[in-house]
Amino acid sequence: MAEPAIHTEGLVKTYGRNRGLTGLDLRVEPGEVYGFLGPNGAGKSTTIRLLLDLIRPTAGRVRVLGSDPYRDGVALRRRIGYLAGDFVVDGRQTARELLTYLGNLRGGVPRARIDDLAARLDLDLGRPIRGLSKGNRQKVGVVQAFMHSPELLILDEPTSGLDPFLQHEFLAMVREARADGRTVFMSSHVMSEVQQTADRVGIVREGRMVTVARVEELRERAVRKVEVTFAGPVDAAEFAALPGVSEVHVSGAVLRCRLDGRADALVKAAAGHTVVGLLSEEPDLEELFFGYYSREEATRAAA
Amino acid sequence: MLLRDPFTKALHDARRSLVGWAVAIVAVGTMYAAFWPTMQTPEMTKALEAYPEGLLEAFNYSDLTSAAGYLGSAVYGLLVPLLVAVFAIAAGARAVAGDEEAGTLDLVLAHPVGRVRLALLRFAAVAAGVVLVTVLLGLALLALRGPAQLDSITLGGFAAMTLHLALFGLAFAALAFAAGAATGRRAVALGAGAGVAVLGYLANSVFPQVEGLRWAQELSPFHWYLGGSPLVDGVQPAGVLLLLGSAALLVAAGTAAFARRDIAV
Repeated sequence: MAEPAIHTEGLVKTYGRNRGLTGLDLRVEPGEVYGFLGPNGAGKSTTIRLLLDLIRPTAGRVRVLGSDPYRDGVALRRRIGYLAGDFVVDGRQTARELLTYLGNLRGGVPRARIDDLAARLDLDLGRPIRGLSKGNRQKVGVVQAFMHSPELLILDEPTSGLDPFLQHEFLAMVREARADGRTVFMSSHVMSEVQQTADRVGIVREGRMVTVARVEELRERAVRKVEVTFAGPVDAAEFAALPGVSEVHVSGAVLRCRLDGRADALVKAAAGHTVVGLLSEEPDLEELFFGYYSREEATRAAA
Repeated sequence: MLLRDPFTKALHDARRSLVGWAVAIVAVGTMYAAFWPTMQTPEMTKALEAYPEGLLEAFNYSDLTSAAGYLGSAVYGLLVPLLVAVFAIAAGARAVAGDEEAGTLDLVLAHPVGRVRLALLRFAAVAAGVVLVTVLLGLALLALRGPAQLDSITLGGFAAMTLHLALFGLAFAALAFAAGAATGRRAVALGAGAGVAVLGYLANSVFPQVEGLRWAQELSPFHWYLGGSPLVDGVQPAGVLLLLGSAALLVAAGTAAFARRDIAV
């Protein structure tokens, strides 16, 4: 397997009274979108600042794109795009001035590329940043993170403050980046922000990794509500005994139930009848995500 | 292109402040210089004689009977170096600490720019500003040389004084820059600069009037800057070396500390 895009082992960061990190093991594979989830103060931003060499680890190992962020920082950061959740810059300059400068720090980004991204996000480059709304300011941040097509995108709570249109566009850009073979590492404190794009999610709590799961697996394990409409009336008893199926209600030709895990048995049983419609709502991964939390809490309390 | 690198960008960002300081310092300097012809009246000489000597010394008014003495006291002795020090301290504090406290340093450091390079380029921009302002003042006074009857001061005298003033500003910029780069805190940078400026001023002009405190003068940047009357006697190597050396040491130490520490959130 190729070298991981991000690899930390036993990463510790203590500072002052802040919690920091207490031994973080993180492995992000090249080409994947990795959702880095955890409540505020869990160590997400600390981890990201360590990856960028803004702060230095107390103990442990960090490798980013095969390099040491401290020793090879300048060359490494050329290959990274970074977006902070609260994108703050000197407001007296225009977005165009800032982006041109940041592009020049990277050895120059074609003006057309900046214009394309700005047009896509509907961002006016000519106005001073001071006069932009929070959402528009965040767009400037999105442009600077994506404009040089970096191998690795590090996005800290990227969609906070974005309106739905922009969130949609942003997630499309993340998907395109993955399609191009780039790696995306994005942190969030809400599952719904990452579940649409992430291949895997890692859940961090109190400075260490609690669990890592594939989003597909989470989906598979998730509980969802299913509604099947048949051509004629069906018998509830026929479905009630199926694995993973519970809370079966039949009213005439419509079957409603809860489905836990795979849909296979239910679909095969339904196939014995004429199926007119099938409705399965998107599972709430957030619930599952907090399920992990409470389970982890329980094991720790027991130990 | 002013958006090319951190050096030109820092100058670009400071353009309004630079223009403001240049105008203020040149205005104050030329205004005082323009008073010189009116200072040469017997009434004025008598009036000044009435002042206690200690008070005049405290304001660096050592000799008001010659053009060089007047210019060295009224222009280069008090108001102008204080203005240059305030300008340099503010600019030095802004270079790293101000940016860091505003939360805007993270973004630049997340780009392919080394910390040492960034800090040195930012300081270089501050230094360029200090040199620009002091040279403009020197040129303005040179232009006034005829009209304000300052002909007795040589071109070399003006050049030497300008060099001393620029290095004086550089030393204070370096101090505020270093304190800010090492701590990331603007208040520390401003405090260090202001503290040394006040102590240095007192050590040069007030403490020496007390027997037993005369040695304090040797430690004062004001003395390194004014000692030996550069306006009359040209460049003073000891003063130049002390100002330049302390600036270089401070910049090196501040940059080294900045490269090693964590950037504040």
